[in-house]
Amino acid sequence: METLVKQPATDQTTIRPLEKRLALQLAPDRLNAFFPLLQRGVTVPAIMGCSLRSLLCDQFAIPSDYVTDRITTIFINNRPLDDLDTTIIEDGLRVTLSAAMPGLVGATMRRGGFYAALRQGISHVGSNRQTADEMGVVRLKLFNLLLPELGPLILARGLLLEQDELDELLMRLPELSLHNPNGTGRTHLSATFGE
Amino acid sequence: MDKIARIDMGAAGGPKVTVGGLGDYAGLGGRAMTSLMVAAEVHPLAHPLGAENKLVISPGMLSGTTGSMTGRLSVGCKSPLTGTIKESNAGGQAAQVLARLGYAAVVLEGKPATDDIYKIYINKDGIQVIMDNSLKLMNNYPVIEKLRKEYGDKVAYMSIGSAGERKLLSASIACTDPELRPTRHCGRGGVGAVMGAKGIKAIILDDAGMKMRPPKDPEKYRDANRKFVEGLRKHPVTGEGLPAYGTNVLTNVLNEAGGYPTNNFKSGQFAKASDLSGETQAALEISRGGNATHGCHRGCVIQCSGIYNDKDGNYVTKQPEYETVWSHGGHCGISNLDTVAKLDYMDDNIGVDTIEMGVTIGVAMDAGLAEFGDDAGAIRLMEEVEKGTPLGRVLGSGAAITGKVFGVERVPVVKDQALPAYDPRAVQGIGVTYATTTQGADHTAGYAIATNILKVGGDVDPLKTEGQIELSRNLQIATAAIDSTGMCLFIAFAIMDQPETFQALLDMLGSFHGIEMTGDDVVALGKKVLSAERDFNTRAGFTKHHDRLPRFFYNEPIAPHNQTFMMKDEELDEVFNW
Repeated sequence: METLVKQPATDQTTIRPLEKRLALQLAPDRLNAFFPLLQRGVTVPAIMGCSLRSLLCDQFAIPSDYVTDRITTIFINNRPLDDLDTTIIEDGLRVTLSAAMPGLVGATMRRGGFYAALRQGISHVGSNRQTADEMGVVRLKLFNLLLPELGPLILARGLLLEQDELDELLMRLPELSLHNPNGTGRTHLSATFGE
Repeated sequence: MDKIARIDMGAAGGPKVTVGGLGDYAGLGGRAMTSLMVAAEVHPLAHPLGAENKLVISPGMLSGTTGSMTGRLSVGCKSPLTGTIKESNAGGQAAQVLARLGYAAVVLEGKPATDDIYKIYINKDGIQVIMDNSLKLMNNYPVIEKLRKEYGDKVAYMSIGSAGERKLLSASIACTDPELRPTRHCGRGGVGAVMGAKGIKAIILDDAGMKMRPPKDPEKYRDANRKFVEGLRKHPVTGEGLPAYGTNVLTNVLNEAGGYPTNNFKSGQFAKASDLSGETQAALEISRGGNATHGCHRGCVIQCSGIYNDKDGNYVTKQPEYETVWSHGGHCGISNLDTVAKLDYMDDNIGVDTIEMGVTIGVAMDAGLAEFGDDAGAIRLMEEVEKGTPLGRVLGSGAAITGKVFGVERVPVVKDQALPAYDPRAVQGIGVTYATTTQGADHTAGYAIATNILKVGGDVDPLKTEGQIELSRNLQIATAAIDSTGMCLFIAFAIMDQPETFQALLDMLGSFHGIEMTGDDVVALGKKVLSAERDFNTRAGFTKHHDRLPRFFYNEPIAPHNQTFMMKDEELDEVFNW
């Protein structure tokens, strides 16, 4: 594999390809460039077979109280979810995280909310089914307030980008003089943000 | 607010103004005032554009005070779109100014004998009704620009565009925002057509020399308002989400839930939804020198609106709201925010309801007048409305009329009013409210108003099936009450989640009027308003058979959940049994 690593510090962030891994160090204001991708969803490697709560708290290292108080709206495969503990992570699962939303329907979508009955036909039903404890991927989306708050954490941990996703991202980061590996397949990207 | 002004536009010799006391309407404001007055004084079989209909304009019970979020203005009448009673409300400056002038209601009555059009000027000295045919067929932005030269910038304006003068059934009434742009609209139900039928083009509200309305208990009111504002600011929806992204923050979430009606309700998901999202919109507005955080009236602490500029930094329109971005966006297969913003400006300028107009264009696309996703086609159809061509008049009369004229079966209306941006097959509970509300399909008729705290109807288990009927009933009751206070509905989230903030609201109401206010009083007010509205509709010929969704919602499953609307008719008929 090729690796794309950041070159020694210059006045401009640049990277060069060595293998198909991309590790970026960017200025904090470049975080916005990742928001379109994170809204649409990114592929994140994870260990399968655990509960959603464990995925968020143990694997993604999101503080427990943040999960409880801030991530108030969650969708699993397009279904609003009420119980984090009975949802088991399987390969290819689509996980969408959002803060509290306005409107009656926003309130309706809330996890365990008072108006959950209004959407009961589409609610996610959990299971206790155990799956193998092996690596897989989830498709993760972040919405609204969680974009700036969880984006850095997810990006630092790393995600897998298809070629078209990487191309789009690099268009939003024109300051990177990246020698783009022209090939197909995924790139493992991680990014950290700081001065 | 101790007086009611009645303006008889059909009086012999010209418009006649009568100012009187409150009488049976003492203590009322907002929707309570408009609905109880229309129910009592308008013949239920009156033609909505005829002399027997009345247009009642009323600020909320707390409008014109120092209280935060108190700037909603209600307009009521018999609706030319639905044939039902109608209350439509908007933000902007008008409610605050009208309340400070002391009017609990201004009532437009009768019908002028000629085609002349008038403007109404209201200040501390009284009311003048002035013929001004120079304003004929002008749209809202140029009308306000013209009036500003005469009346200045320290007033509030209400106006109708060409759609109102043409009596189109989607016509709205515009209220100016703090920058005097006609961007806040009483949109639903064709209230602008009723104002046009009365021959009124504009109302100028001038509160020079007037003071804030004083509360009976100033200290308690000040303290309650402080706690209320604290509650709004600390809540993640009212203090963070809405200020940062506006209501359009819902696009991504509804799309993810499969409840985002796409291509005239053919799918519950739009592949390009993220291009339209509030997150994308806010970033674009900021990058263009606009503003993603802006209030529609002074005294708003939520600031859910914004300013949308073009790529060169020039003002296009206010930040389009979620319903607008949906109706002109995903509903029509359009994913370009600049197109949506242009259509939003045209809606505001011509003076039409953005929900009704966007849904109508989607129906027209189903009829083959344009392709889904055809940005230029959508704009072309709006231009027909602006010009008042025969096609434009059909389109401007709403989705139901357009569907009939062009033989479209999939027409998303209830009581001839277009559905808002939530598919009832995915979110069945909101379909209950769409079907049964007194107003025609309306997402704000049963808002998320603290029914858990109010205990409207007792304790409801929200996880039981029957909870959907009870919740819809309770939400409609609570919403009718809040619509009467002049409070913005977006306070809902803070008062739903924070009992101390709800108590602060009750204390504001109580200390202002010098009474003790409880949750029971709020519920009683809501029931009184809804009962009057239901009674009017019954006398107007509406039965339980009108409280239904269009059949395609029962027959056509929608992706991704492949559900139909499953609530039984007998269940819907239980909503108003209390």
